[in-house]
Amino acid sequence: MYLYLPVALTSINILIPVGLGLAVGLLSGLFGVGGGFLMTPLLIMFGIPSTVAAATDSNQIVAASTSGTYAHWKVGNVDFKMGLYLLAGGFIGGIVGVQAIKVLQALGNADFVIKMTYVFMLGIVGVYMFIESLQSMRKKKTAAIEEAKEEKESAVGRFLKSLPLQTRFEKSGITHSVLVPIVLGGFVGVLAAIMGVGGGFLMVPIMVYILRMPMHVVVGTSLFQILFTCIEVTFLQAYTNHSVDFVLAVLLLLGSTIGAQAGAVMGRKLKAEQLKILLAGIVLVVTVKIIFELTLSPALLLSQAGGH
Amino acid sequence: MKHFRFRIAECGFAAMAALVFIFTLAFAGTASAMLTARANHDHITIDFFYHGSSVSVRGMSDPNVDLVIKMTSPEGHQALKQKGKVGGLLWMNVGQLKFERTPNFYAVYSTKKLDEMLNKEEQEKYVIGYPALGKHVEVTPVANEEEKAKWFDEFVKYKEESRVYASSFGKIETKVNEQGHQEYYILTDWPYQAAPGDYLVTVYAVKNGKVVEQAESKVNVEQIGVVKTLATMAKNSAAFYGLLSVGIALGAGFGVGLVFRKGGGSH
Repeated sequence: MYLYLPVALTSINILIPVGLGLAVGLLSGLFGVGGGFLMTPLLIMFGIPSTVAAATDSNQIVAASTSGTYAHWKVGNVDFKMGLYLLAGGFIGGIVGVQAIKVLQALGNADFVIKMTYVFMLGIVGVYMFIESLQSMRKKKTAAIEEAKEEKESAVGRFLKSLPLQTRFEKSGITHSVLVPIVLGGFVGVLAAIMGVGGGFLMVPIMVYILRMPMHVVVGTSLFQILFTCIEVTFLQAYTNHSVDFVLAVLLLLGSTIGAQAGAVMGRKLKAEQLKILLAGIVLVVTVKIIFELTLSPALLLSQAGGH
Repeated sequence: MKHFRFRIAECGFAAMAALVFIFTLAFAGTASAMLTARANHDHITIDFFYHGSSVSVRGMSDPNVDLVIKMTSPEGHQALKQKGKVGGLLWMNVGQLKFERTPNFYAVYSTKKLDEMLNKEEQEKYVIGYPALGKHVEVTPVANEEEKAKWFDEFVKYKEESRVYASSFGKIETKVNEQGHQEYYILTDWPYQAAPGDYLVTVYAVKNGKVVEQAESKVNVEQIGVVKTLATMAKNSAAFYGLLSVGIALGAGFGVGLVFRKGGGSH
């Protein structure tokens, strides 16, 4: 059955957005990512204009992350204190990132910087997570690697401990300076604004590897933070660009809210290493897809203006 | 009172002028023959279940003419992202191209290949066919005519992919009736990608490489009901629309969460 989308000005088979919502919602509930880096290109592939695809996806993520946060909160896997500090940093970073985009656009090489940032960040995060989780799954770490790692960790750890304003994050069972989540949240905020994505796939590894939070709390906390970011983005997109398609968002969230719940349930049955290696695999597949897009001759040399 | 008399005189003059104009048009029509055009489905409504439509155009003409049917939206300007190779290796957006005087929708159907029935000057004069449209539009920034032609070809490819540009021949059915007139008919798919608005259907009668007569009809595409309400709200009440979108998403997320809690019962 087809439905007409009043803002996208196109007609779509309802099974497509519901199915996409279900799949991306599942990933959201499992890994704590919004899934914008997957959903937006898929919507464009199915004929949705790029600006409407990005804005409507953020509307859908509001629903999926509400559903996911709720599911994780019920089992005590959301660190609200950490989430709020990361949000504060992300908010400041977002403002800086938007200004950076303006400067890059004025210099005329915005697209190059955006694409390269995307490929490098995804590539580095994907490869690091993949190798790290593979090693911990196989438990074949040699003494030398372990020693080197411990040394590195202690150096980073010592630096983090030396910072002022140390505070305890009970839910995650860790102690950090409040500056750490604010600065890291800001860093992700800058990159997310430059790349035009929510930044969940960057935030999750940062929480795991730098903040040393337990993987299951990471997923719930990341969703909590994504929820607020996407509420702001949805409202601003609707208000300034008129690019949120309400009907498409409802179709997507029909799938994604259920997918997020299913993801949260599945996530509880998987080990942290299994979760990490799956997320790493997805991030690497997306990286390879972008590299292909960059190197293979495109079928069309023109595309709709607006969005990234 | 004087002012009022003046207004009456002014109106009278306008009415006279209109009558003369209509009479001239009618006289010109009968003098040059008898081309007619009628679009059967001239008011297409877009509701929730709209997935495109079909439009047929029929009419009569002199028996010894070829026909061209052109459907277009009003001309405007469009900006599109332009992909190019950076460093001889990577494909990415390298800028924006502006296409001026281009319709968003352009479909041309003819009884024969355009070049076999209509000379180049006439194609350009009436903007019939892609080559003529290519000459008509302005593309910026381009260095020369060659580059303009290249990017116009890409523009047509992009538009054909979106199903809003089409050009073909041989689809118009014709037959000569008992009175010796040629009756023509074409049924075309109306793509759902064609935006709401007014579309002009122009039928050209062609003889000896020249347009000898033309007739027009209109197609109006309009959103109705909830589709119209939502589209209008998104534009005119953007803040409310944004809050509504966020509110529904939050409600749906919590709602599904509650349903799962009741269903699962384990936590």
